[in-house]
Amino acid sequence: MIKVDRVHKRYKENQYALADCSLDIDRGEFVFVVGASGSGKSTLLRLLLREERPDSGEVWVAGKELSTMPGWKVPFFRRNIGAIFQDFRLLPNKTVFDNVGFALEVIGKSKRHIKTQVPQMLELVGLHDKQDRFPDELSGGEQQRVAIARAFINRPLILLADEPTGNLDPENSWTVMGLLERINRTGTTVLMATHDVGIVDSMRRRVIELDNGQIKRDQNRGVYGLGQPST
Amino acid sequence: MAISLEYVVKETSGNLWRNRLMSLAAVLTIAVSLALAGASLLLKQGVSTATSQWKGGVQLLIFMQPNATDTQTSTVENQLKSLPEIKSFYYMDQAKSYQEFKQLMVNSPDLLQSVTESQIPPSFRVVLKNPSAAPSVGSLFQQQAGVKDVNFNRGAINTMLHVTSIVQFVIVGLAAILLISASVLILNVIRVAIFSRRREVAVMKLVGATNWFIRIPFMLEGMVQGLVGAIVAAGAVVGIQALFQYVVQHFNVTILSNFLVSSHDVLMTEVFVVAMGIIVGTAGSAFAVRRYLEV
Repeated sequence: MIKVDRVHKRYKENQYALADCSLDIDRGEFVFVVGASGSGKSTLLRLLLREERPDSGEVWVAGKELSTMPGWKVPFFRRNIGAIFQDFRLLPNKTVFDNVGFALEVIGKSKRHIKTQVPQMLELVGLHDKQDRFPDELSGGEQQRVAIARAFINRPLILLADEPTGNLDPENSWTVMGLLERINRTGTTVLMATHDVGIVDSMRRRVIELDNGQIKRDQNRGVYGLGQPST
Repeated sequence: MAISLEYVVKETSGNLWRNRLMSLAAVLTIAVSLALAGASLLLKQGVSTATSQWKGGVQLLIFMQPNATDTQTSTVENQLKSLPEIKSFYYMDQAKSYQEFKQLMVNSPDLLQSVTESQIPPSFRVVLKNPSAAPSVGSLFQQQAGVKDVNFNRGAINTMLHVTSIVQFVIVGLAAILLISASVLILNVIRVAIFSRRREVAVMKLVGATNWFIRIPFMLEGMVQGLVGAIVAAGAVVGIQALFQYVVQHFNVTILSNFLVSSHDVLMTEVFVVAMGIIVGTAGSAFAVRRYLEV
């Protein structure tokens, strides 16, 4: 589902954001990407969304090679990818309903389709009673759940999450994690970059640790800390 | 990919309303510059129609009687050939003269109807080596058999040609500068609009909106501004033309009396004005959006 092959990326001379990175993620996996700030987590996610191109190497996502993908194909590629972020990226002048429906409107879906899909999705994230609120009337956790609804409404093959719990208290963080797990159980591959030690340690999923742009560790059922092998 | 009409209309009208002051500024700049450009085009047309008889440095016109015989005509022609003061000349037969007449009288259909080709005098168009010789050379032919009238190049025509060419140059230059500033202003209006919406654009890109989906409402916004400006300008051009016609007729300004603009010229000018408005508006916005669509 995701394959990164000997990817190099640097923004400045001699300063690698990613250096000789290779990894392979199968369909339906749930993967944490951990590492200190500046270790290359965000760069990795930006490459997977094709917001950046690698300097060298190949990036395969959902069967497409991104480093050579022409620009006009990118929007169509992104429709297969859901993404959520630490800062939610909701539109402040649109209601919850419209924010979620926006993802369908933008790809040319009919009004009727939107009217049936959005409430289902809001039901799933538990916000069906707040569909007419605006983002700033919601708590951080609720806003992130709206963002998840928007990211998942196209049933993407892959969900990318860039520190989705970074701005949330523990309780809300766990609600969000619960949703991501549910989404993962539907067969969607989830890749989540995070700093949250507690979550990584207790979920016991695959952990990829980045350090200075290089993959330092890749283990199944791993923990956050400089891990002793699990099993 | 289907872009719903409703979405585009909603977005475009919303944008225009949110930035209404800037939109107004863009519309007015376009209107003023296009009105000037249009008026100068009309002026150019009018001058070239009014002075077509005097094109190519012709300084002397010898009109023959419409019923002049071939011998009479060839006598005049031979005489012209023999005169040392004459640099060159050419003969306008009735058919060509009638075409010219139709062009000059295009705004007087009554007159056109009442005159037939056989009533039009053919003429010799003469270029002299020394223009000041025009009266003396002209008087040689005045009494000649078959000659109807002799017409000298009047200084006034020369002056008018000269002045109007300068005026035209200035007006066209001014109009060009204004058009450029209108384009820049539109560019800026759209840039401000899109800058205030860059979050929205980023989210659109994130969920897989194509560039055209994002671009079309902005381009339409520029097009509407250009079109409204052009319509105002088109109205102004008609107004200027009507005022000019009124002044000429009412105050009997003789020098401008054959300064004519056909309705065809006016129509073509209006088409130009509207096309320019649409192009400037649409292309300006397309250019402004471009850099925000990368990533």
